[in-house]
Amino acid sequence: MSGVGSALDTLTESRTPWRVLIAVGALALVAYPLVSDDLFYQNMIILSLVFAIGAVGLNVIMGYGGYISLGQSAFIGLGAYTVGIATTKIGGDPFVWVPAAGVVAALVAALLGLIAMRTRGFAFVIITIAALFILQIVAINWDSLTNGTSGITPPLPRWDLDYQNWPFYYSLVALLAGSLALSWWIRRTKIGTGLLAIREDEDKAATIGVDTPVYKIIGFVASAVFLGMAGGIYGYYLGFIDPIGMFDIVISVQIILAVILGGRGTLWGPVLGAALIEPLNELSNQELGGGNSRLLIFGGLLALTILLLPKGIIPSVRELLERRLRRGKAALVGGRLGARRALNGRPGPEPVRAGRKLLEVKGLVKHFGGVRAVDGCSFAVEEGTISGLIGPNGSGKTTVFNLIGRTMRADAGEIWFDGERLAGPPWRRAYAGLGRTFQITRVFGEMTVLENVVAPLRSFSWGQLRAGAVSGDDAKRAEELLEFVGMGEYRDQPARALSFGQRKLIELAQVLMLDPKLILLDEPAGGINPTLIARMEEMIRELNQRGKTFLIVEHNMPLVLGLCDPVLVLAQGQCICSGTSAEIQRDPRVLDAYLGEDFSLEEPVGVR
Amino acid sequence: MTEFIQATAFGLLIGGVYALFASGLTLIFGVMKVINIAHGALLILGAFLTFTLWEQLGLDPLAAIVVTTPLMFALGWAMYSTVVRPLRGAPLSSTVLLTFGLALVLEAVMGLVWGNQSRSARPSYFDQSFDIAGIVLPRAQVFACAVAILVLTLLYLFLARTWTGRAIRAASANTEGAALVGVNIAGVSALTFAVGVATVGAAGSMVSVLYPFLPGSHYIWIARVLSIIVLGGLGSLQGAAVGAVLLGLAEVYTQTYVSAAWATAVPYVLIFVVLFLRPQGLMGTRLREDVAL
Repeated sequence: MSGVGSALDTLTESRTPWRVLIAVGALALVAYPLVSDDLFYQNMIILSLVFAIGAVGLNVIMGYGGYISLGQSAFIGLGAYTVGIATTKIGGDPFVWVPAAGVVAALVAALLGLIAMRTRGFAFVIITIAALFILQIVAINWDSLTNGTSGITPPLPRWDLDYQNWPFYYSLVALLAGSLALSWWIRRTKIGTGLLAIREDEDKAATIGVDTPVYKIIGFVASAVFLGMAGGIYGYYLGFIDPIGMFDIVISVQIILAVILGGRGTLWGPVLGAALIEPLNELSNQELGGGNSRLLIFGGLLALTILLLPKGIIPSVRELLERRLRRGKAALVGGRLGARRALNGRPGPEPVRAGRKLLEVKGLVKHFGGVRAVDGCSFAVEEGTISGLIGPNGSGKTTVFNLIGRTMRADAGEIWFDGERLAGPPWRRAYAGLGRTFQITRVFGEMTVLENVVAPLRSFSWGQLRAGAVSGDDAKRAEELLEFVGMGEYRDQPARALSFGQRKLIELAQVLMLDPKLILLDEPAGGINPTLIARMEEMIRELNQRGKTFLIVEHNMPLVLGLCDPVLVLAQGQCICSGTSAEIQRDPRVLDAYLGEDFSLEEPVGVR
Repeated sequence: MTEFIQATAFGLLIGGVYALFASGLTLIFGVMKVINIAHGALLILGAFLTFTLWEQLGLDPLAAIVVTTPLMFALGWAMYSTVVRPLRGAPLSSTVLLTFGLALVLEAVMGLVWGNQSRSARPSYFDQSFDIAGIVLPRAQVFACAVAILVLTLLYLFLARTWTGRAIRAASANTEGAALVGVNIAGVSALTFAVGVATVGAAGSMVSVLYPFLPGSHYIWIARVLSIIVLGGLGSLQGAAVGAVLLGLAEVYTQTYVSAAWATAVPYVLIFVVLFLRPQGLMGTRLREDVAL
């Protein structure tokens, strides 16, 4: 522990120079126009600020949430047109309309988010590209509002020429500060952990109670709002708002490049990236004549960055430093299993009513093309039991789990849980008290162990989104659960560094965070060592005594037959029988389908 | 009524060319799970090559596919080995950004070589048309659609009848499975990418006659290919063909009954409508999602 602890301390200490650097940079940025009247550099900084605001925003949905938008320049255009149209049609100072530009950008982002929310991965990219181009077409064709390709000319600035471009400059500095504050805040709240969880594994995030569409929409709106306002100022600053210049996909590319180059998922990376991109932009426009050279430079740079520096500057440097700091120190990961502590307080919620069906599955069907993976499967799990689900490979066990948790949609059949029919998305099932683990563990690799365990949510409320990611009762409970599974020492390790067995323990702690009534375990003893199997069994028994009901898929027969009662047997997508372990060992159908004629349990049942 | 039949005929004719255009992308996605955003730029490149062959040597633009297809095949192979292969196994988003970067580079190169003015190849039959019972069918469109269907048929026969074609289909259905039974995935991937780029080169030859084009035209083709994907689902040639014909019809109907200016918005509107109503696409192939669980 001490080795890693001190390494982390050194890392924290090494942050001080960073902070000084950032403070000096911020001061220089604010002071520059006061000490120099060079308009060339003022112009460059103003354009870098627009890129930086765009990149810091995009980082929220792309860096934290993992969803790439190629349409960010649409928000610049929307903002510019909002300010341009409002000023010319209604009147007033353009700066008065800047907040409205933010609102319009946020509303359009929310609308696009609503369309995209049910889709995955590349569909989002498609929607953002489509949004950018369709807005451009609207701006070209809706002559009466936008003046078509002739564009809009906002009024000239009315302030004294001595102030040069100060109002543009300082309002953009303020917007950058605002967007950085928003990004920083999001990363530290439940919204941030939710978005990270979505980036790492969206299906898994949904099973632990993350209402994924809400998070994605919030993330996308957050990426748009400040950029919309910046767009309003940018259009006013340029003095000319036209469809081609405002809805320019190359600007989208430059914003993406700034995020990737600087480091996605980091707070300052996008700012660094923007500061690197703008000089290149200037070079290509002024020295090389723009047009083709601009495309060549930024298209080429995008391709090269993806190929050669996909992580970006800040994460690469950080990795290098960390590796140096840790050199020669024994790693904690891979060490012996830590001691386990029993759960404090909170005994089983209510006395268990014997015989009550907690989960009932009726006529479940799932086809994959011609393969009937689950074919009219019906069974029930009684409250307070540790039920086992066994069957040969391909009999549909994991598919049944996926259908119950709605990682997949059933073709037919009903699932009843705790007296209600389950029909909603996975997170509602988590709120109802259903938790599951995966056969091949799915922890969030880039998050720490503790962050992994606090990520699950027992309910949804708008207020809770604002709560600190690791804070209050949740954090306390998460640490308690880590102690319970014996992983307390590992709380600050990144989950990707854990062994397979350790990940199983983290997944169990994650599920327990939901305080579920029923826990579905998919091969809890698969691929782990005997000591850990014994521990797993011990924990399952302890949790069961505290009122948790279990349904366990497992191939380790001694474990199943010793631990589970009743045992359900699945074959060819149907539940062929159920009974006590003694009963199913004698049942000819089970012997035929799974155990085999010569099955006999020679070793003593239970812990080996 | 004549107007409607006329529009439908136009839509079907252009849909045939769209189908050839989309087939390469679908093929590449099937094997490599890469959405090649540079597909539109490669189409325009094919059109420029054809234009030069026609202008300098007087070669018929539709016959030019005999030259453009092998050239584009070689380019596809080179693209795969230099930039696409290093990203094997990378998330889809990385390859989307990579190929988008390539699209911009191609646009710039075409601008430097051919200039940024609008071009189009005009063979002798450019202004002629067939007249069948009052329905006007421009010869260029009829010939282009016929050649597109011919190339698509050859592609289909290649995939269905040859050993190499079957290897491509196997790799497309299940990459690991194909590797297990002895398909050389690296070789098949390179071949598929090259074949995909070659078919889009052939489509480019047709486009050089049908539309005026310039380097920046590739954006509208990105939009078209994306909407065909959304309509027809990814990875199946039949789905792509149906999506292509639907898009062709929708564009021509909008042109006829609304306005030419708004017809450019059709691919985008289709993307929004389809993804909103059916996020999995109209005919998206459902793949088994849990193999990795």
